[in-house]
Amino acid sequence: MSQNGAGPVSVWKILKWVVALLVAAIAIFPIWWMINVVFALPGEPVSLNPRLWPTSLSAGIANIHMIFAQTEFLRAYGISVAYALLTIAGVLVFGSLAAFEFSLFEFPGRRVLFGFVLLSLMVPSAVTIIPAYLLTSQLGWLNTMQGLVVPGIASAFGLFMLVQFMRAIPKDMIEAARLDGANHFQIYWHVALPLSRNAVVTLAILTFIQTWGNYMWPLIVGSNAEMYTVSQVVGLFNSPLSHHTVDTVMTANLLAAIPPLVFFLIFQRKIIQGIAMSGTKG
Amino acid sequence: MSLRRHLPHYLMIAPFMILFAAFFLYPILSGLYYSFFDWNGVGTPNYVGLANYQSIVGSRDFTRAMTNLAQYIVITVPLGILIALALALLVDSFTGRWAGFFRNAYFMPVVLPAFLAATIWRWIYAPNFGLLNMILGWFGVRSINFLNDTGTMLYALIAVDVWVSAGFNMVIILAGLKNIPMELYEAARLDGASKWQQIVHVTIPMLGPVLFFVFTYGLISAMQVFDKPWLLTGSSFTSYGGRRHALLFPVMDMMGRAFGGVRFGEAAAYGFILTVAIVAVTAFMFALRAWRERQ
Repeated sequence: MSQNGAGPVSVWKILKWVVALLVAAIAIFPIWWMINVVFALPGEPVSLNPRLWPTSLSAGIANIHMIFAQTEFLRAYGISVAYALLTIAGVLVFGSLAAFEFSLFEFPGRRVLFGFVLLSLMVPSAVTIIPAYLLTSQLGWLNTMQGLVVPGIASAFGLFMLVQFMRAIPKDMIEAARLDGANHFQIYWHVALPLSRNAVVTLAILTFIQTWGNYMWPLIVGSNAEMYTVSQVVGLFNSPLSHHTVDTVMTANLLAAIPPLVFFLIFQRKIIQGIAMSGTKG
Repeated sequence: MSLRRHLPHYLMIAPFMILFAAFFLYPILSGLYYSFFDWNGVGTPNYVGLANYQSIVGSRDFTRAMTNLAQYIVITVPLGILIALALALLVDSFTGRWAGFFRNAYFMPVVLPAFLAATIWRWIYAPNFGLLNMILGWFGVRSINFLNDTGTMLYALIAVDVWVSAGFNMVIILAGLKNIPMELYEAARLDGASKWQQIVHVTIPMLGPVLFFVFTYGLISAMQVFDKPWLLTGSSFTSYGGRRHALLFPVMDMMGRAFGGVRFGEAAAYGFILTVAIVAVTAFMFALRAWRERQ
């Protein structure tokens, strides 16, 4: 538990380091390997070269250029970015408006409505996905951006997280703003929202990672090639019927991995806190 | 008067609640309704009573999917948590920059989209030229077709699953570890407890609620596994589940009936059967905890 201090190097200590580094290698290696395949000298079969290091920067750049220029990947990338950004905007706006009320005010029906939303956290998505698809289809929203985005906006998890956070806002500050003549919406906009910036940013990042990685919903709602998201294109490139070569497929995989990995490297603390919070308070 | 006073509150929650009702509550109710109909999604639904439920439960695929699921869950959930716990203790034993480095490294697979984890591992598992077979080849093992051999398919899935979920659970367990008061370890040490005894008698009992959450949550998500087995087996709506359906799972079976067989009523019924199973397992977990606490 506590550190051993600067004592003599024991067998245990060495063993601990070996295990820790080995596990780190297992966790990171598949990602590292993907990079190496993309940035490899062309012409050498993967089977003869385990690709432990990247060998050619220009080959990698050529791969990336090729995949954007010659495949449908660029459009899919645009659709995935739009899908993620619009979902984030919807989750944050709708969620924070509702969380503001549920956390700071008392009104008839508050408990029942919030209870309903909390209960929905326990309902598996397996039961809603088919009828939600049928509703989206009846609305004529198949293969449209609203069909991808709108059904995912009312995120019970997001609301719950924001409510947990906004509860900590002192009621005095709300009262003070009201006495200063702020109306209800102004209190939300100028007091509650700035004070919950941390939670809002964390929720935005978690929503991004989740939406970017969503495979099932785009698979059924955006089944036309014009609406393919990155998840679907990657799935198709990797399918047994795919006619793409290893470097093309790996380039697609790498480009799909970059946004969440970059977000993680920048916001690691917030992401880990967000996950830990949802676990320890759940 | 009262309504006017409360009107701003309702206006602010309205956008969320309307979407919530439309895309969450309504689908549950309409799904229940459709589950009693034979329907291809466009024509007129044809009332069939409980026939959908009967044909699902009586089908070979359902039995196969449920058997696979049981085998999968029994291994993947406890194994994933055990590894996550070990990793959390390992990370916790480091301090400063290295603790942060190892934590982030182990967490990295979690941020990766699940669809990507599955596709990268497909390449690693590939026969002959795959990385894993290459490493095994150094030790003289002949090439194994991990994702097409019914003896290895389930374990190949579990390895990917643990690779992803261990980091997620580790972060939650780490947060739990930080909440254990240092004095408890001090007291145990004064009583002459070894490191191992401290883990067994202080750490694990104090982590009870966190481990319960991680276990229950892991169980619920494992019961709905879809992306990873779907992509590992290169599935499509016309052919899924891999060789001899060795990686067929309930959600895959449900999706196949809906979008491959175009039997939406049956798929809706499948969703309810699955939900009842998940709720039953969750309720059992909570009952178990209540019983343990009373002991």
